[in-house]
Amino acid sequence: MWDRMTQNVSVDDDTARDLLEEMLRIDIFEEETKERFGEGEIPGFVHLSGGHEGSHVGMGAAMRDDDWLAVGGARLIGQYIAKGVPLPEIMAELYGRVGGSNKGHGGQMHVSDVDRKLYGHAATIGSGQNPAVGLGLAEEMKGTDNVVVTTIGDGGTSRGSFHTALVFAAYWDLPVVFIIENNEWAISTPAESLSPDHLSDYGIPHNMPTESIDGSDVEKVYHTVSEAIERARDGEGPTVIENRVVRLVPHFEGDKETYRDEEAYERAREEKDPIENYRERLLENGVITEDELDDMVANIEAEVEEAIEFARESPEPEPEAAYDHVYKLPLYGQGDGQ
Amino acid sequence: MTREITYVQAIAEAIDEELERDEEVILFGEDVEEFGGNFGETEGLYEKHGRNRVRNTPLSEIGIAGMALGAAVGGIRPVAELQFADFAATAGDEIFNQIPKQPYVSGGQIEAPLTIFAPSGAGIGAGAQHSQSVHSWLGNVPGWVVVTATTPYDAKGLFKSAIRDDNPVFFLPHKMLSETKGEVPEEEYTLPLGEAAVEEEGEDVTVVATQLMFHRAKEAAAEVDADVEIVNPRTFAPLDTETIAESVRKTGRLVVVDETVERYGTQGHIANEIVENDFFSLDAPPKTIGVKDIPIPLSPPLEQEALPSADRIADGIESLF
Repeated sequence: MWDRMTQNVSVDDDTARDLLEEMLRIDIFEEETKERFGEGEIPGFVHLSGGHEGSHVGMGAAMRDDDWLAVGGARLIGQYIAKGVPLPEIMAELYGRVGGSNKGHGGQMHVSDVDRKLYGHAATIGSGQNPAVGLGLAEEMKGTDNVVVTTIGDGGTSRGSFHTALVFAAYWDLPVVFIIENNEWAISTPAESLSPDHLSDYGIPHNMPTESIDGSDVEKVYHTVSEAIERARDGEGPTVIENRVVRLVPHFEGDKETYRDEEAYERAREEKDPIENYRERLLENGVITEDELDDMVANIEAEVEEAIEFARESPEPEPEAAYDHVYKLPLYGQGDGQ
Repeated sequence: MTREITYVQAIAEAIDEELERDEEVILFGEDVEEFGGNFGETEGLYEKHGRNRVRNTPLSEIGIAGMALGAAVGGIRPVAELQFADFAATAGDEIFNQIPKQPYVSGGQIEAPLTIFAPSGAGIGAGAQHSQSVHSWLGNVPGWVVVTATTPYDAKGLFKSAIRDDNPVFFLPHKMLSETKGEVPEEEYTLPLGEAAVEEEGEDVTVVATQLMFHRAKEAAAEVDADVEIVNPRTFAPLDTETIAESVRKTGRLVVVDETVERYGTQGHIANEIVENDFFSLDAPPKTIGVKDIPIPLSPPLEQEALPSADRIADGIESLF
């Protein structure tokens, strides 16, 4: 059922190295996050992206800076990184500190960066797609050719809100690319128990182009999402893409994964790790050398170390800051003495 | 200069003027084009402003509310209609989790200058799912500015401010008031959000009331042997507690009447604000009056039983003396 891995490299060398570097950045950042969470430095939940890096980085590379990303699913940190949010701001937000992207009001599930056009996350799974349609409407009303990419997991596609968003996007042919990251598990419920052959088939009744691809192949994702974005930019409306990935990590840190078959899990690790496969591919094709790779890793480790230092040194919010950002005050006309 | 217009005409004028004034304002909802809304509240707007600015949507409140949120974040100013206030519940996640919380969780980066409006209230025999007053639901979720309209003057001035405000605003006209007439200035005006209005001055008792209950409170005031001051909160969240407190400091007595359900309702909240902060200005315990703890039934005698009547309000006022 998996596409056979294409062994050649279909992008230029610089792009290929960038794709690998960005996937490694996610991996190294998240390994450190896992450690820090284990040490009790990070509050709340932590969901990691292992197995989704190709999907995150491929779509991130396909987007322009002024295209919106409305993230969904549970594998979020990789998407924040792929949209270009600086690592220190992400890490400080995970720590709940003042220097975080959201000043500690959001945390791991809610990183947003409006200046970089990261909308943020509807953490109630499956509620981010209608806002994404609204972002598309705003761009269209303003006469730009910017596109909105929105992601969701396999689990979220069972929410009515996801299907409503398809109805609305199709109604006005809005520039929205719906990406379903199907990692086969909605926590412990297998996606194969859902009836469609491919979850992208949900776009068919709306006459949208649909694609179901090997989402662990970063180049495949990059090309497929690029084509969908170009269609949307040219006024040809929405697309639904299923990125078939594997989940190489627990749902969240602490999930014992009693529901997974050990053999299948092991096979997924060996066959579908997007980073390992791409590293091999670039080495075999002579796009990168072992030494260059070591340098790349060392540089990222230093970046991540800096992000940790920034987060640790960033102050805890003053308790009074809990009252900030509820309303923009004064309200319209308030205090004008009418 | 003023003239008399109806409450729905005032609503349509507010949207019309804001569409005219600001090209970032758009209107969408079910049947807002030629059909003109269930009560005539969007009549003529599609013909004047065209399909780009006035859009019928497919039938989904989830889609309407969710799209309004995204469009607002994306830099336009959506005015979105839900056909009945009860339908806030059909877009529950958007209304309760997404719209009021996204600006907050983003640390203030996200701005959502949207207005959702939805006719509320009972009295037309519309049954349990088309008759509710929901400002108590919405007032319970910090992040929403919750505004009600009582007269044509209020409806126009408050709606225009709601559209211009940079917060998410839920604007609630009352469907029984649709055809009521009132004085509305010819010239442009707005009314402040977050400020209550002392509509009738009096010395003996403060009655807090809005929408249809305001009009019934006026009838009750004419029946009782007391000088009644009527305060219209206009905005329920954030509430202008000070104007109500100031009135009670003068009168020493408080009746809160509202069309929300009494249990966990607005009445108890408003009374509590006074009890906690101005207890010693009270000469009698506050009286709260609302919809009895039942769904709104259809048959007119049953429906009127559920709603506070002018007589019930008058009895409530007299019970404090």
